[in-house]
Amino acid sequence: MSESTNPFVSASGKSLTCMEMLQLVLDGQATPEQRAYFLTHMDHCKSCFKAYDIDMAIKQLLKDRCCGECPGDLINQIKAQIIQKNS
Amino acid sequence: MEEGERQSYTEAEKQETFEKEFLPHIHAMYNFGYRLTLDRDDAKDLVQDTYFKSYRFIESFQRGTNAKAWLFRILKNSFINDYRKKTKEPSKVDYQEVEQYYNSDDVNRQITPDLRVDSLKDMIGDEISNALNALDVDFRTVIILCDLEGFKYEEMAKILDIPIGTVRSRLHRARQLLKEKLSEYAKSMGYKNT
Repeated sequence: MSESTNPFVSASGKSLTCMEMLQLVLDGQATPEQRAYFLTHMDHCKSCFKAYDIDMAIKQLLKDRCCGECPGDLINQIKAQIIQKNS
Repeated sequence: MEEGERQSYTEAEKQETFEKEFLPHIHAMYNFGYRLTLDRDDAKDLVQDTYFKSYRFIESFQRGTNAKAWLFRILKNSFINDYRKKTKEPSKVDYQEVEQYYNSDDVNRQITPDLRVDSLKDMIGDEISNALNALDVDFRTVIILCDLEGFKYEEMAKILDIPIGTVRSRLHRARQLLKEKLSEYAKSMGYKNT
């Protein structure tokens, strides 16, 4: 992909570094064009490929294992509290 | 509470907004409260307090805006103003140092601790949860908001009352620290550095 098609260019006209591109993708801030560019870039950038692989695995692990449900009675307690305090 | 034009709500509209826009976020709110306090009872108290405030100050909620971000902001403020003052010392993280590091050339060098996807796949217990909980609360918070809840930089900046640049640098540092913790777990599980 040529420089002219690089969608990762800062306001000052400077291209972003690998780390900066990776962070935008990881943080969900990249546009679809930037994301597509980065995925192609990884084909020939081993360090980006490795870092992306690990960072995305961690992100998935967080989603799978660090989200929980609230106790079953909490919704009713909240509703009762609001009715009581506003009556 | 969020500054802005006050909205007028009838009692029926209040109920409807509360039920349809606020309550569906209760699991995410509880998880956020738990990850902040690391205590399930305190998390319940924080969530109850947040929902009570959200109802009481519902006129400050702008219809059509992001209810989840608004609720998270209230919970975060309750945590800092009510809970953290009573129980914990303020954060000791030197954010100036974090910012300086992020804006330096060092940050572009790959200093990621050695960690392999294989070793992550074997972390089927509480390793990731413990690693997250071991981070300073301000680093933990940005990981939760971004990776668990999918908030954007702009939303996180509003929830946390910090500039977008600070959100970005704090997230970067938080990811590094999380990887360091996971790398320690991987080593203890017998994985050798590659």
